[in-house]
Amino acid sequence: MRSQRSPARSKALGAETPADAAFAPLDLRLPARASELRAARRHAHDAAAACGFDVDDQYEFMYAANEAVTNAIKHGRPDSDGTIGLRIAVDGDQLVLSVSDRGRFAAPRRAPDPMSEGGRGFAFMTELMDHVEVVSERGSTVVRLGKRLPVAGAPGDAHG
Amino acid sequence: MSLFYVSEETIGEGTDVVVVGGDLDFEAAPEFKKCIDHRLDEGARRVILDLAAVGFIDSTAIGVVVGAINRLRESGGSLAVVSDEPNVRRIFDVVGLDDLTPLHSSRDDAISALAGAV
Repeated sequence: MRSQRSPARSKALGAETPADAAFAPLDLRLPARASELRAARRHAHDAAAACGFDVDDQYEFMYAANEAVTNAIKHGRPDSDGTIGLRIAVDGDQLVLSVSDRGRFAAPRRAPDPMSEGGRGFAFMTELMDHVEVVSERGSTVVRLGKRLPVAGAPGDAHG
Repeated sequence: MSLFYVSEETIGEGTDVVVVGGDLDFEAAPEFKKCIDHRLDEGARRVILDLAAVGFIDSTAIGVVVGAINRLRESGGSLAVVSDEPNVRRIFDVVGLDDLTPLHSSRDDAISALAGAV
């Protein structure tokens, strides 16, 4: 039931990482409404906590997740049933959150103007996460955000 | 994570305060913007944005703050933001918003700063 497309899952032979054991993949369909953002943030925050991220990294993971879901609600197109996809799973050495919709999203090529009222969402994602990937093809867009899992036993690897 | 609310007050000498609490996200941003715009439409020149009870501010709400900074610059006014919340301060820092508007740790600090500014 774990990630089936996992070329980076080199650790899978033999030992599970602590995060693998603690966090089963989460696959959700969310109504594409701003009122769902609170739930999306909670899921992201809980997942990061379950994987042992420290409180700052939990916040960053939740924050970037909120931006990706906001983007899909604001600019994307929901499925015919009015929902967008949210998946959170451990993949290799990262906790990866994927947001999918039926729209076409192209990542901005330049940093936002400091005085502009919009256009900061993607900058936050790249600043707060270790890996940001936008795959837009055949009428769908998936934004994948990855944050490196804490190293077991390292300082800050607390359950708070 | 908590419910959003916003209110406005005038504390004399032409200083207006917009007090916000809870999560400032894409759902809350329109109401937040309406409240600030209302104050600016009424001619506010010194505005304190009291975010002391805000634990989360997303990019859309940050856009609203930048919009207020822009409008106040045009009218010769100024904005001061109050927040002592480390997460909010960090988010302001990430996008350089703390360079555009000073962040004060208390409302009193913001009031004294604005008194000297205009």
